[in-house]
Formats: sequence, structure tokens, C-alpha cells
Amino acid sequence: MKNGKKAVIIGSGLGGLLTGASLAKDGWSVEIYERLSLIGGRFSNIDYKGYQLTTGALHMVPNAPNGPLLTMLKRLGANVTVVPSDPLATIRNPLNPEDEDYKSGYKDIHYLDLTKHMSFKNKAWMAILTFCFNKKLINPGDKTFVTWFSKYIDDKRIVRYADSFAGWSLSLKADEVPATEMLQILENIVKYGGPAMIMGGCSSVISELVRIIESNGGKIYTNKEIVSVNISKGSVESITVRDSTMKDLIKKTSNDTEVKADLFISNIGHKETFDLYEKLPFSPDSGDENKEKEEFNLKYEKYINELKGLKASAGIKISFAADEQLIEHTGVLFTPYARRVCALNSITTIDPTMAPPGKHLIMSHQRVGLDKLDDIESEIELGLEDLKDLFSGKEIEILAVQVHHGEWPVNRCFSGYDIGNKTPYSNLYIVGDGAKGEGGIEIEGITLGVEKALSEINKLYN
Amino acid sequence: MYVNDNCVGCGQCFAFCNQGAIEVFGKARINNLCTNCGICLTYCPLRAIEYVNKNGKGEI
Ligand SMILES: Cc1cc2nc3c(=O)[nH]c(=O)nc-3n(C[C@H](O)[C@H](O)[C@H](O)COP(=O)(O)OP(=O)(O)OC[C@H]3O[C@@H](n4cnc5c(N)ncnc54)[C@H](O)[C@@H]3O)c2cc1C
Ligand code: SF4
Ligand code: SF4
Repeated sequence: MKNGKKAVIIGSGLGGLLTGASLAKDGWSVEIYERLSLIGGRFSNIDYKGYQLTTGALHMVPNAPNGPLLTMLKRLGANVTVVPSDPLATIRNPLNPEDEDYKSGYKDIHYLDLTKHMSFKNKAWMAILTFCFNKKLINPGDKTFVTWFSKYIDDKRIVRYADSFAGWSLSLKADEVPATEMLQILENIVKYGGPAMIMGGCSSVISELVRIIESNGGKIYTNKEIVSVNISKGSVESITVRDSTMKDLIKKTSNDTEVKADLFISNIGHKETFDLYEKLPFSPDSGDENKEKEEFNLKYEKYINELKGLKASAGIKISFAADEQLIEHTGVLFTPYARRVCALNSITTIDPTMAPPGKHLIMSHQRVGLDKLDDIESEIELGLEDLKDLFSGKEIEILAVQVHHGEWPVNRCFSGYDIGNKTPYSNLYIVGDGAKGEGGIEIEGITLGVEKALSEINKLYN
Repeated sequence: MYVNDNCVGCGQCFAFCNQGAIEVFGKARINNLCTNCGICLTYCPLRAIEYVNKNGKGEI
């Protein structure tokens, strides 16, 4: 049943589409505006010579089968098939335990054996800390993970494992993640399950969401860029949409239309949305003007301060092909002793159609420190050298090297530092990886954030 | 076609170029196979590709 209200969504990334699908099912009239020719943002397949590369993601869902995303997709009626990793992961250690690299060979261990090398005392500490966190008996406060953990356990190997896990899942060093966030992530893996790969890759999720939106009367427009968010009387009144087809971009034309709605959702991050604010932040025309204005100004200033603290994470994905499968299982291969590469996975272990017949598609991910962005070519070279070491003697063909940072990052906001979905305007919400929920890796965090925004919206409009 | 400083090297453009004119290694470079067809313009998330015609001028 239609509710007679209109919601406009800026951007067709995963967060925008999840929100759009849910609102459309709830009776909202939904319009999504995407500035590119491509739907799905950083969660889309790109076909390159028969290989299904991606605009961002590694074709993986972090928590299967019961994580936030798959639960929401089920509720929405999306038909998506995932294959849970089996084993969840293996860890590649140097053959000689004294070595700090793979030059003299390696030995892969099952992830459940990750504490095997530890002393009895450290193992006991690990069990105590996990138990206490689960029972809420300890609170690491605002300490970062390694800083907190190293107070109890001194183990270099575990720090390397933590770095490769954080690098793969969040594109951060483990000590850039608050301890509470990391512990919540680990608890969620136990609660919801670990990673899974998606049959057909990222685009399978996107095409199902598009189907649900459209079958519920929603509209998705591509090649339409939002150039301003127009504010009046303390709320958002409209957005300005500019045509951005190839012709418009060549001719640099400005065909603008103003679109009004009751509710505005932005999938492009807090800062990027803020940059689009047009007109006075506040201009009440009735009521207790001064008091209202004062309250609003306080909220507005607080928000601006929060925006200053936001940082986006950076990373490099290398997609490569091989004639033989170099990853022997459907899970993640962590490489804590590589120079840069944190982990790898191969979508063709579950879905051979993601590469030309007889070929395999493998992707590696590495974190990039924000202080290394000026010398990105060296970072790429180090990643490529890692692949040479990891697969020495094997033929591999590099298909694509993709760098993500800044406005097109791995993650719009460092995990654990998200500032929620709200803005100073009660009818404007932010969704996507710039507004994740706690303990959610990547798209799981996006889903948690979307669910939170939807529950606020329900409270406000029902 | 001209690649400006907004480019982060995300590689989203290169697979859509039918001419194989884009190489991406930390940053996109467009080589002389480019026919100025304009397809890549609508795939760059950073608006880092700008139309420049054969005389080196953007069409207005
Ligand atoms: C290398 C890499 C590997 C990753 N691997 C994984 C993984 O395996 N699993 C996982 O869960 N996550 C992974 N992620 C993270 C995941 O891909 C992202 O978190 C997710 O796709 C971001 O979705 P989003 O909702 O924030 O929207 P985005 O993907 O950022 O989409 C926003 C959309 O808005 C559009 N837009 C921007 N400005 C405007 C405007 N002014 N007007 C109109 N439209 C606009 C953009 O074009 C875009 O389509 C990875 C990311 C990267 C980069
Ligand atoms: S304009 Fe066309 S030919 Fe030139 S780089 Fe872009 S897509 Fe390729
Ligand atoms: S799509 Fe844009 S930002 Fe990405 S590599 Fe191409 S030109 Fe650079």
C-alpha cells in the first residue's frame, strides 16, 4: 500500500539500494539518482575480457549465513546465493618459524590453529579476555586494539595476524581500530558466521535490489548527478539534479531540474553531502525563532566538528588470472608475512563462470597507510613483489591494479569512528560506508547503518 | 581526453574503453589509441576524465 510520501535517494551504492528497496516495499514512492552509467557503486562487477572484476569489493559477504546483509536481503525477498567459506580461512606462515618472510618457503595453517604457537600463559590470557568481553566484564575504553591487547599478551605473530585481518577486512592496521570495535567484529563472526562468496559476484546482489525497487514502483535514474541539496526553514526542501550523460559531459552542459520530496537519503557520505548544502542553514519563518535558531546552530556546529574527524581508508586490489587454481579452498588466505598483501580469495573456487573457461580469477587486497598515498606506485610494486613470492614458479597474469582512497575509498570512514546516520536536518539521512553500524565489517556495517536509519525514519513518519 | 588530478587510479574506466586506450597503474593514462568516443566519461566516479578535442580544447 502506498503511503503517499516520496523519498529521494542520492547515489545507487549498496546503502542507497538497500534503503530504497526497503522504503519502496513499505509504500514510499522512491526515486534514486545515480550520476554514473553504472548502478551499484563500489559493489558492482565489471566485465574485462570475460573476467568479472569489480568496482571495489572482493565478491565477498563478511558474515554468512546469518549476518545483517543476508538477513535483510532475505526479508526483502532477494534471491542471492552465497557459498560460506570452507574453511573460513587459512593463514600462510613462513616455513621456518624464525623467518619474517616467505623467501624460504611457507606453511599454511587452518585458522582454528592460530593460537597453537602461543605459550600456555598467553593462551590463558586470550581465553580470559574473550570470556570477559563476551560477558561485558571488561571495557577497553577508547584504546585501540593492539595497544589494549599487548598489555596482556606479548606475541608478535598474533599482531601480524591481527594486522592482516584488519587490513583485509577494514583496510586498516589493527592498531587503527578501537579495541571495542575489533572485539565486536570478532564476536559477530562467532554469532553470524564468517565470510562467504557470492554466486555471480557483487552484481547478483545489486540486480536483485534493482528488481525489488522497480517491482515496488521505485525508479532508478542513471546519468543524473545531484549538484545541490537545497535547504529552507531548517529542513531539506529539494535537490537539484543535473543530467550527466556522455553528451552533457562532453558539452559541459548544465540541464538542471529541482526535485522535491518528503525524505532525503544520501548514499555519498557525510562530508560529500555537506558540500552540496545550498542556501541558509536555518531560516525559520515562524515560532520561537531565536530559541529554535540557537538550538539548531549548536547542533550544526557539533556536526561540523564531527565531520572534521572523519577519515577514509585506502587500499589496493590486484586482480590476476592463472590457469590453475592457486587458492586451494573457498575461504580467505591470509598472508601476514607478506610485505603489503593482507589476504587473497578466488571467486572461481565457487563460480567458474566468473572467468573464461579454464581460467581462474584471484584477488589480493592490501591496506595503504594514508601517509603512503604520495608514493602509491611503490606500494603497488611491493604488492606485486608479494604475489611473485607467494606464487613463485607459477604463471600469473595481472589483469588490473585498482587503488582506492579519498572520495572513492575502501571505506568512507575508519571502522569504529562512524558518526551515525543523522544530519542537522531531520529529513536528511546518510547511509553507506560513511555511516556504518557498530561491529559490522564493510557491507555488514552498511546494512546495520541502513537498519538504524530505517527505524528512525519509521519513528518519524509513522 | 585528459586525466586530471582527481584520478585515484581506481581502474573503473579502463574496462569500459573499447579501444584499450586506458592504462591504470596508480593513475589512469590515456594513450593514442583513444578515439575521443567519450564512453569513459560516464564511468569515472571522480570526474577525473575531461573531454579535450583533437586540438587540445574542451568542447563547449
Ligand atoms: C578494494 C575494495 C575491496 C572491498 N571488498 C569488500 C568485500 O569483499 N566485501 C565487502 O563487504 N565490502 C568490500 N568493500 C567495501 C564495499 O565495496 C563498500 O563499502 C561498498 O560498496 C560501499 O557502498 P556505499 O553504500 O557506501 O555506496 P558507494 O558504493 O560509495 O556508492 C555511492 C554511489 O553514489 C554515486 N554518487 C556519488 N555522488 C553522487 C551525486 N552527487 N549524485 C548522484 N550520485 C552520486 C556514486 O557514483 C556511487 O554509485 C571493498 C571496497 C574496496 C574499495
Ligand atoms: S574516449 Fe573512448 S576511446 Fe578514449 S579513452 Fe575514453 S573510452 Fe577509450
Ligand atoms: S575511473 Fe577516473 S579515477 Fe578511476 S582510474 Fe579512471 S580516471 Fe582515474
